[in-house]
Amino acid sequence: MAVVLENKRVAPDVYLMRLTDTPAKPGQFYMLRPLPGSLEPLLGRPISVFDCEGCESSFLYRVVGKGTELLSQRRASDSVDAVGPLGNGFPLEDRDLTVVGGGIGIAPLYYLLKAHRARFPGRKRSAYLGFSGDSFLTEEFSALCDVSKVNIGGFVTDDVDFSVPALYCACGPTPMLRAAKKRAEAAGAALLLSLEARMACGVGACLGCSCATISGNRRVCKDGPVFPAEEVLL
Amino acid sequence: MSRLQVNLLGVSMKNPVIAASGTFGFGEEYRAFFDPGLLGGISSKGLTLHGSKGNGGVRVWETPAGMLNSIGLENPGVAHFIERELPLMRRIPSALLCNMGGHSLEDYEQGAAMLDKADIDILELNISCPNVKAGGMAFGMEPATAADVVRRVRALCHHPLLVKLSPNAPDLIAVARAVEEAGADGLSLTNTFLGMAIDVDRRRAVFDNVYAGLSGPAILPLALRMVHQVCKAVTIPVVGLGGIATWRDALCFLMAGATAVQMGTAGFADPLAMPRAIEGLEKYCEEQGLQNILEIRGIV
Repeated sequence: MAVVLENKRVAPDVYLMRLTDTPAKPGQFYMLRPLPGSLEPLLGRPISVFDCEGCESSFLYRVVGKGTELLSQRRASDSVDAVGPLGNGFPLEDRDLTVVGGGIGIAPLYYLLKAHRARFPGRKRSAYLGFSGDSFLTEEFSALCDVSKVNIGGFVTDDVDFSVPALYCACGPTPMLRAAKKRAEAAGAALLLSLEARMACGVGACLGCSCATISGNRRVCKDGPVFPAEEVLL
Repeated sequence: MSRLQVNLLGVSMKNPVIAASGTFGFGEEYRAFFDPGLLGGISSKGLTLHGSKGNGGVRVWETPAGMLNSIGLENPGVAHFIERELPLMRRIPSALLCNMGGHSLEDYEQGAAMLDKADIDILELNISCPNVKAGGMAFGMEPATAADVVRRVRALCHHPLLVKLSPNAPDLIAVARAVEEAGADGLSLTNTFLGMAIDVDRRRAVFDNVYAGLSGPAILPLALRMVHQVCKAVTIPVVGLGGIATWRDALCFLMAGATAVQMGTAGFADPLAMPRAIEGLEKYCEEQGLQNILEIRGIV
């Protein structure tokens, strides 16, 4: 059980919610249930950790259905069920870091950049953020980066030069990930993808979120959500 | 003897709560939340002879107080299970149920023969799989086909045999009786109810297979009624499942005549649902002055 500290709208249908008791590493997620103990809605929603300070994480989510709608209605001091932290998360590597995010897929990349800056202050950080409509939280990203570029309505992957040596991390809609994978492969760049999937349990038991990889099916929730791009079959 | 201790098909269990097949992997996934050894039993992810990659497309879809799934029995196969998963699963001090299905009679027979020599406590036979060689109708739909697969497996496997029934059978009672007659030691019911979801925005069925299995609290009253009916129709023990989320839900199934219960989907929503239910049952026995939980079995 976690308590809502803040739940603010950052764009139409996009919210940033800060919770108590939610420690996490960059790239991890929680299964959030808006009404603790309720059987309706039944399942948690996998929501990425956007940022984390100590034991308080903030979660960036878009209202797309019943569960996220109810989540958006929770107010400070309300309780929500938070199961986590879940998933493997991103590694922190001592080299330059470039993130590529599409829409709500920017969610796990902010904390990654922040942790990278804290650990490797001398390294260069770049962010390429793509949105189909309203952009959000782009200033927060630029504050952490040497280079930051926002693309509205176009293909964010067109902005990225994958031949520049760095670790590339991407999260967003599948077509965007597919394009990033193709370009990274052509340039011989190391690319990690954070995948999104429908899931029931979030802990590796239900196999609802299986994804195809070169070594057979893997679970997005437990074996991922972060995978080397060359391993996943998109 | 503990108040919750029960005997299922000759296997002693520390309590009547079993993790349902397909919701608890091979016992390790929830270890971060609780010790799986607290459970009375664990039913393995459903195995098929050669394993399966499972279904493509959407696999899970939330419904009012429940969920539809079309996982398609993704599993590593019987041989892999025996070699890799079983030794780890065996270390957990809970009754070990191995759940196995098949797409042909030969698959069932070969799988059962392989598992006969394996160190499992109970073979839970999933007869809800489609029979590929007979037009895809599930074995468990009709008494004759259900009895045939049970008889063949019975002949090849000495382990206690628990047959998991599909609630989608047009005459469930007839199937239950036929399966008992064919040599099953016990029955577990229900498997998921066949359901459907449509994505109205895309004007198409949500699942590639169109239909999918419904589970969760939404099905509890239906499953409870079926367990009640089957318990009155057969003399072998029945394991009740279908939407159990709390100790009170578990009690319903025991009062309806079940010897043990299984929980699954509730654990997706709340990883601690099973240990909480066990604790609740323990407390109930204390408060009611029961020496053993099964004193209330079948009282309704």
